[in-house]
Amino acid sequence: MTANQYAIVNLSKGSVKIGETSASIIRSYLGGRGTNVYYLNKLLRKDVDPLSPENVLIFGSGLLTGFLIPNASRFNVTAKSPESGFLGDTNCGGYFAPEMRYAGFDRVIILGKAKKPSYIFLQDGSVEIRDASAYWGLDTYDVQTELRKDLGDVQAAVTGEAGEKLVRFANIRNGVKNAGGRGGLGAVMGSKNLKALVAYGTRGLKVAHPEQLLELTRRVNDYVMNSKVISVMGKLGSPYLYDVSNELGAIRTKNSQLNAWSDSLNAEYFEEYAEKMVSCASCIVHCRHRNTMNGEGPEYTTIGLLGANIGISDPKQVIELNNLCNRLGLDTASAGSILAWVFELYEKGIVDRTKFHGEKLEFENFELAKSLLEKTARREGLGDVLAESSQAVQYFGPKSADYLIAVKNLPQSDPHDVRYIKAFALGIATASRGADHLRSRPTLEIFLRLPQEVKEKIYGTGISPDPTSYEGKEKTVFWSDNMYAVIDAVGICKFICHGFNSPHLIGYEQVREFLQAAVGLDFEVQELKEIGQRIIDTERILNLRFGLTRADDSLPKRYFDDPAPLKTAQGHHIDRQQFQTMLNRYYQLRGWNDQGMVTHKRITELEAIE
Amino acid sequence: MKYIFVYPERCTGCRLCSLACSLTKYGECNPRKAAISVVRDEFERFEFPVVCFQCQDAPCVSACPQNAITKDEGVVTRDDDRCIGCRLCAVVCPFSAITTHGKELIHCDLCGGDPQCVKYCSTKAIEYAEETQEAMQRRKEQLARVLIIEK
Repeated sequence: MTANQYAIVNLSKGSVKIGETSASIIRSYLGGRGTNVYYLNKLLRKDVDPLSPENVLIFGSGLLTGFLIPNASRFNVTAKSPESGFLGDTNCGGYFAPEMRYAGFDRVIILGKAKKPSYIFLQDGSVEIRDASAYWGLDTYDVQTELRKDLGDVQAAVTGEAGEKLVRFANIRNGVKNAGGRGGLGAVMGSKNLKALVAYGTRGLKVAHPEQLLELTRRVNDYVMNSKVISVMGKLGSPYLYDVSNELGAIRTKNSQLNAWSDSLNAEYFEEYAEKMVSCASCIVHCRHRNTMNGEGPEYTTIGLLGANIGISDPKQVIELNNLCNRLGLDTASAGSILAWVFELYEKGIVDRTKFHGEKLEFENFELAKSLLEKTARREGLGDVLAESSQAVQYFGPKSADYLIAVKNLPQSDPHDVRYIKAFALGIATASRGADHLRSRPTLEIFLRLPQEVKEKIYGTGISPDPTSYEGKEKTVFWSDNMYAVIDAVGICKFICHGFNSPHLIGYEQVREFLQAAVGLDFEVQELKEIGQRIIDTERILNLRFGLTRADDSLPKRYFDDPAPLKTAQGHHIDRQQFQTMLNRYYQLRGWNDQGMVTHKRITELEAIE
Repeated sequence: MKYIFVYPERCTGCRLCSLACSLTKYGECNPRKAAISVVRDEFERFEFPVVCFQCQDAPCVSACPQNAITKDEGVVTRDDDRCIGCRLCAVVCPFSAITTHGKELIHCDLCGGDPQCVKYCSTKAIEYAEETQEAMQRRKEQLARVLIIEK
């Protein structure tokens, strides 16, 4: 058995405390996202300003991260989000989390604020707070390169200039492209004067049943690699999804004024810029392009949001904006959403033009987008306003909120326009961190030709085969939410998760087998399903403490009131009444009351876990 | 004779090979305790699996003061009873293909003819195959590249 060691680092005091996560917490939450939210709920006061020293920032690896298990490379970073004011939680791949574990730590909990720029160095069981003055001001590539020059073959989770400047959608990065992208947790690092968490480890993870794990992983690898979707992902990466959504009329375009965009952003046109496919630790999918423009990517999300959504149709320009955001440490999803929002506010004259710091804003202008991203990361001119993300509603006035494509103050990450597929709409409305595709996306709804019995076997019965129907769709979101919470908690990538891109791949049964072989923990599948629900409930409890109400489980106004103008989705929008009824049914499935509150009994039960 | 051949242009950097090796040999998952390593740097844009190349004229064989390392039917083999752990072999290996972990000296023994690492590679970046003239020529060119990277 591997010791599940954590470190609590208090940057104000300069102190470090090392402890071990209890067996009962692991049985209740596994690790990663689950254990992170458990600790955040225990440690955080509810009225804390997210950018104050009182915020608690947690880096936690998945329970299976670092083992010989396909795609088990991931960790979550969790804190109160400065972008949304609700739960901030972001999942990231790369090579950092395995290194953190090989260095002896599953989890690092960061409190307080350092007096000067600092980084935390984890090395074979030791934790040091070190001076980062030499690294402050460096972009996310340069800081990692410099750390390696100084410390050897280390892995680091870093923040860029955007994080230092407290941009509310600054992210946390490892390698060229891996991002803990959402919720502005890079700004939380910046607020703590923390440039990087750095790891070097030679310790390795003890395996409960080596022979069994060797055999199991070979079997599961073969199974996953024989899946058609995985071979497409391995060649084209996530950009293949653009075409699928665009045909449907479900690509957010120009702040969702339109719902389809140019075919010039189809995956095939990004191929000519791809030099090699590379991967995260232990990955058998290798979905990531090393592009010929000195970066990696872009992903489908970025193609949508820094392409279609701001009116860019040249793949080369999308790649350039992608690489720029990655260097600066900006979340591409929020970046593209916020740019599109202010472009519309300006073009339509919804906000007085004196509020734009003399900038002339328009869609389809690459140079403008590039310059605004740079200004945002440095908080210069209008960039200082954009850096506030959705909080800029306070600056632009309440009318501007009607045009913001966000839920719970988090700009929508999915480039998918949800007016057509109703299950997707419920998914982004209820996801715990705000409008997001990685928490609850019931993807199988997009496969229109998928046999009904396949869907029912996964999601349950009583679900309409029609993607535009509201009937039974709460079940698809409920199922997806729970499954993805478990896969995040064990640290396996969603790209091989059952139900995320395929009706096959790694589900509860395989997770059960891996837990048994790798860490020697025996679970029933039913217990794993309950863990998924427990994670979602704990996230809900935390959000309720932050002041969340039923009104926050909603959608951007446009999705209700403006029918989609193009393609298959033409004329479709979300009906308010039907949406609310679907939301009621979702709450019932979760055992929440009609206001979306968790029962006292459940809260007491979860708070008793120690 | 069968050897492990590496194809860096196919290597994605994932290190499943290293984990399979450490798990097979030591019952743990530890890429730094494996006979095969992936030398990689995403900023310098390369991934390169490094494993014993079974050199024809192996420096480790001639450097070993104990004559513990020999070439046995084309495979570099270390006799644990003779080895005194001086690590000279690791020092002289131009490819850093002999690794050390604590007191452990780690060197590929081809798993006795059934190398585990190749079974976990999803892109066939490492293959256990018969030597051919073409493969050996490729290997020569690659070795020159490794030496540049390792500098």
